[in-house]
Amino acid sequence: MSGRSTPIARLLRSEQAGLVAIILLMVVGLTLAAGSHVDPLSGRSVNDFFNSYTLIQTATDASFFAIMAVGATIVIISGGIDLSVGSVYALAGVTMGLLLRAHPGLGGAGAVLLSLLVCAGVGLGAGALNGGLVVGLRVHPFIITLGSMWILRGIAFVTSKAESILLPESLTRFAKAPLGLGAALYPVPMLSMLVVAVLGSLYLGRTVMGRHVYALGGNPEASRFAGLRLGRIQVGVYLLAGLTAGLAAFLGASFYGSVSCGDATGYELYVIASAVVGGARLSGGRGSAVNAMLGAVLIVLIRQSIRTLHLDQNYEWIIIGSAIVIAVVLDQASARFTARRLSERR
Amino acid sequence: MSVFFRARMVVTALFAFCALAPACHSSSGPSPAVADTTKAAKPIKIAMIAKSSTNPIFLSARRGAETAARDLSAKIGVPIDIVWLTPPTEDGQIQAQRIAQAVNEGASAVLVSCSDAGKLTGAINDAVARGVPVMTFDSDAPASKRFAYYGVDDRRLGEQVMAELSKQLNGRGRVAILAGNQNAPNLRRRVEGIKAEAAKSPHIQIVGTFYHSETPQDAAAEVIRVNNAYPGISGWAMAGGWALYTKTLLTDLDPKKVKMVAVDALPPELPYVEKGLAPVLLAQASYLWGNVGVTKIIDKIYFKKDVPEIVSMDAVRVSIDNLGAWARQLRQWGFPDVPEEYLKLK
Repeated sequence: MSGRSTPIARLLRSEQAGLVAIILLMVVGLTLAAGSHVDPLSGRSVNDFFNSYTLIQTATDASFFAIMAVGATIVIISGGIDLSVGSVYALAGVTMGLLLRAHPGLGGAGAVLLSLLVCAGVGLGAGALNGGLVVGLRVHPFIITLGSMWILRGIAFVTSKAESILLPESLTRFAKAPLGLGAALYPVPMLSMLVVAVLGSLYLGRTVMGRHVYALGGNPEASRFAGLRLGRIQVGVYLLAGLTAGLAAFLGASFYGSVSCGDATGYELYVIASAVVGGARLSGGRGSAVNAMLGAVLIVLIRQSIRTLHLDQNYEWIIIGSAIVIAVVLDQASARFTARRLSERR
Repeated sequence: MSVFFRARMVVTALFAFCALAPACHSSSGPSPAVADTTKAAKPIKIAMIAKSSTNPIFLSARRGAETAARDLSAKIGVPIDIVWLTPPTEDGQIQAQRIAQAVNEGASAVLVSCSDAGKLTGAINDAVARGVPVMTFDSDAPASKRFAYYGVDDRRLGEQVMAELSKQLNGRGRVAILAGNQNAPNLRRRVEGIKAEAAKSPHIQIVGTFYHSETPQDAAAEVIRVNNAYPGISGWAMAGGWALYTKTLLTDLDPKKVKMVAVDALPPELPYVEKGLAPVLLAQASYLWGNVGVTKIIDKIYFKKDVPEIVSMDAVRVSIDNLGAWARQLRQWGFPDVPEEYLKLK
């Protein structure tokens, strides 16, 4: 069978096929259901949903969650959880803002590079703290990252004195570079999301470290007996989660042009939801970086559809919450269904 | 196979959501009265983005906007739709996304109260660059290209709060400041005003500024905690009325020992005026945020009139002398929960 499969058949059998099909169906449905308007500048009639601005804006909105979701998914595959990503985002952004404010002469590429390094550094530092505490104290990661969620946001609060800090223009120009697409079309966050998802996928699927992460989450005891250094793997996954949160902070802060300690409050739940909707199993051993990105896109698309279909926004939380529960319940039903079929074949 | 099984079921679930859609259909579309009288003309769509849809003060602003839209629509013969795009909780990043979304979906203008001016400045400027005028209300983004702002001068309002409290205390006493969310720039300016005014009275001592989550329960709990910690407090200068949305302080505090002056005078706060615990409230006419905002936008985009950049709103002093008139005003503005006994007062 596998020897005769075509690329299309392989694509249809891939683990992304289901989510991609749902996203495409939603895009088609929303395009048909949306109204149209006249663009005030060009005077042309434009579909309210299927236009380059809305599509890139939807991808941009998803990109900050999706980048964090790639890291969070790696943690979840290992059997852990990271509740602190929203706070890492806030602390990385605030640290970057304070440093840039302290060096007002810094601009252009220097400011962009410094900001990227600072955000990545803060993210890695927070990841090392989480990983070190999980391994060193042998406390459940839920508790450790719950604590660090408050601690890191508290540090951001104290250091920023709760001020909103404006960032230099050079950062906004970088994050909002049109890359030849035209005015008010900003593809940098979307492209960054794609790059991070591909890198995450390569790490998980094509490297020994990535296979070790699956092994740890799938069966920790067997992994230990196989001689894997579990502590190192655990610290590694939290480092990656911190790094992706730092990168998301760099992009988000640069895109919106300011940072504050309240940034990304509650985003950790969207991030975990993206991973879960993307098929990651909370008990570990299963998940995919590309699926996490697609999960984030799907959640943002559901949010977008509430507005495109002119549904009452007060129903947003109910609809998103229900979609997440349904996705997980169906996923479990799917797993049971597959297991039953396999046992019947035997 | 399991992926397709999951996909089929999730698609089914999404269709179920679509089937449920009529049950939660938005009221943000055109009101029937408007649609009937103005079927032929091209509608004017005004996107309204307040800070939080869970705060009653913004629901009153929405009512004001919808009433102005209905009245002006009948007058000019063009349908005016208010599209409510307020996020459930305060989040500058989400507000920025919703400004972009409003522009993508063909809004004629945007009316926004900024949770974080720094984050919204770029989005406002993008909207203006794409031909969509933006007006701010309640909380401004002064560095942006918005054409006008309508709201109170927050620093002056803070000064008024302290001046009124000082009168109640005969210029002598220990005063605590209830300050809400430390991130909110408008509240910070009110606190600055309170402190500046207090500094003019040599016998007024500020014991501290106390921040809290902007929920009634958290605010009331903070007042009680601080009162226990500083037994000599004789006055509370409140930058917002959150604590007075509960009834608990009516029983926990003695109006003979403590006096309060707060910003806002919504229906749940009125018993505090009657009992003398808060002899004066300084109300923001939140209904007018929407009502005047929409009127100014129509002046700008339909009548092509010049609109002043700052449209100043004065706070309304509410005391036992005008409690009845204020209660009736609130009822007229659409607040359903105004106590009947106050409606009968002079």
